Amino acid sequence: MVYKRFTRRDFLKTAGAITAMAATGSFPTNIFADGKRLAKFPEKTDMILLTSRPPQLETPLHYFKEMITPNDAVFVRWHLANIPTSVNVAQWRLKVGGNTEKQVELSMDDLKKLEKVSHTAVIQCSGNSRSFFDPRVPGGQWGNGAMGNVTWAGARLRDVLAMAGVKAGSVDVAFNGLDGPPLPSVPDFEKSLHIDQAMDDDIIIAYEMNGTYLPMLNGFPARLVVPGWYATYWVKSLSDITVRDKPFDGFWMKSAYRIPDNPCGCIPPGSAQKTSIPINRMTTRSLIVDPSEGSSIAANKPVEITGIAFSGGYGIRDVLISADGGNSWKEARLGPDKGRYSWKQFFFSWRPAKPGKYTLMSRATDNIGESQPLDSLWNPAGFMRNKIEKVEVVVK
Amino acid sequence: MRLYVALAIVLAMAAGIAYAASEEMVHSITLPAVHTELKTGPGKEKTETLCASCHSVDYITMQPNFSKAVWTAEVNKMIKVMGAPIQEVDAMTIIDYLAAEYGTGK
Repeated sequence: MVYKRFTRRDFLKTAGAITAMAATGSFPTNIFADGKRLAKFPEKTDMILLTSRPPQLETPLHYFKEMITPNDAVFVRWHLANIPTSVNVAQWRLKVGGNTEKQVELSMDDLKKLEKVSHTAVIQCSGNSRSFFDPRVPGGQWGNGAMGNVTWAGARLRDVLAMAGVKAGSVDVAFNGLDGPPLPSVPDFEKSLHIDQAMDDDIIIAYEMNGTYLPMLNGFPARLVVPGWYATYWVKSLSDITVRDKPFDGFWMKSAYRIPDNPCGCIPPGSAQKTSIPINRMTTRSLIVDPSEGSSIAANKPVEITGIAFSGGYGIRDVLISADGGNSWKEARLGPDKGRYSWKQFFFSWRPAKPGKYTLMSRATDNIGESQPLDSLWNPAGFMRNKIEKVEVVVK
Repeated sequence: MRLYVALAIVLAMAAGIAYAASEEMVHSITLPAVHTELKTGPGKEKTETLCASCHSVDYITMQPNFSKAVWTAEVNKMIKVMGAPIQEVDAMTIIDYLAAEYGTGK
């Protein structure tokens, strides 16, 4: 075996821990002050528990102080309760077919024989930060932790498609994973990309996260990575790729993950969405990670304001910081460049002279001029939040 | 799966060969059992049973308080769009429970 596996010792350790919990009849979830629970799932660190079946786990914000989010801290979001919990890699096959010259079944070894491509790319849930929508909307009540920055490696989707031979007249490529619905009446989770986009050089079928295998809950043994696009397309535990000569009309494209069909993807707060399109490329965002909300800071001492900024695949040109609620803005220093799909860290040295309450804000602009709005852009599903966020701190 | 691993070990020992490679091809996790208690109120049991046939009830408890209109739309979405096999009379019970225990009073 070329790649490092989840060892028997790891397995026993996990199993032992779970057994111990079962014996006491309680699961060790710690209650946060704001009512959120922390939970420990296999191969994951302590995460903010949104839901347990299927699991939805949020990354605690302090992990975003780092350039790369560790595998065990990357958020988890499944749609349907029947998620894969055991995969025999020797038997796993990626089936590629549909409107192709031939149907192929690729093993992990087949996938690894193709050229290995790597991208550091932000993975972000469409509904990241949904809990901050006003008025509130139903759905996964994420804070800002349904995102992460990961170095993904795997084979190009187009190289995989070439092995089956895409026929002329193809319009969509559909992707299905090992997860399944709890009842036959529930629509299976399947997503699609237009054929032109599927041929993009940068879309990969990743079998590595940060240099090692994917945690089961993040899509072991391989997942689609569509850099710059929301994670709803990054189908986990990929098992089937179907090239189509007709548009894909599955539930999760036709009815779910839709945004208002206008340039801002937004409508007046509280109103109903009339015409819609599938969600797609990410909007530009930035977030101050340190100091955190409610921090106390000493007057007349320098403090570094740090955070992260990213866009839908065009890299970050600049980040401006305001320490006076948006009245004046100054440019932050940017950290190392890990490519246009990665987030960039920003740093700003601030020395507040007088005690009092201060509102810190950051505003990023990407290399095609896309930036962040001052007011939130509302839509009924709670997608694509990217307003300029505020962090309130107290200087003493 | 553990049975297979154990079997592989026994067979490998019998044959006098290394078993590590085949054993490490299987990647398994065991999901923890997490319990979330819904608020006590009329319709709690029905809500628990019918909703939890597809998902854990923390899907309910993580939501902010919503109006009865929003809860009605959510329950109807689960039935008509997500394919939940819930009878209309039960749907009414669930909506009333959610609006009473997790509602805005509107």
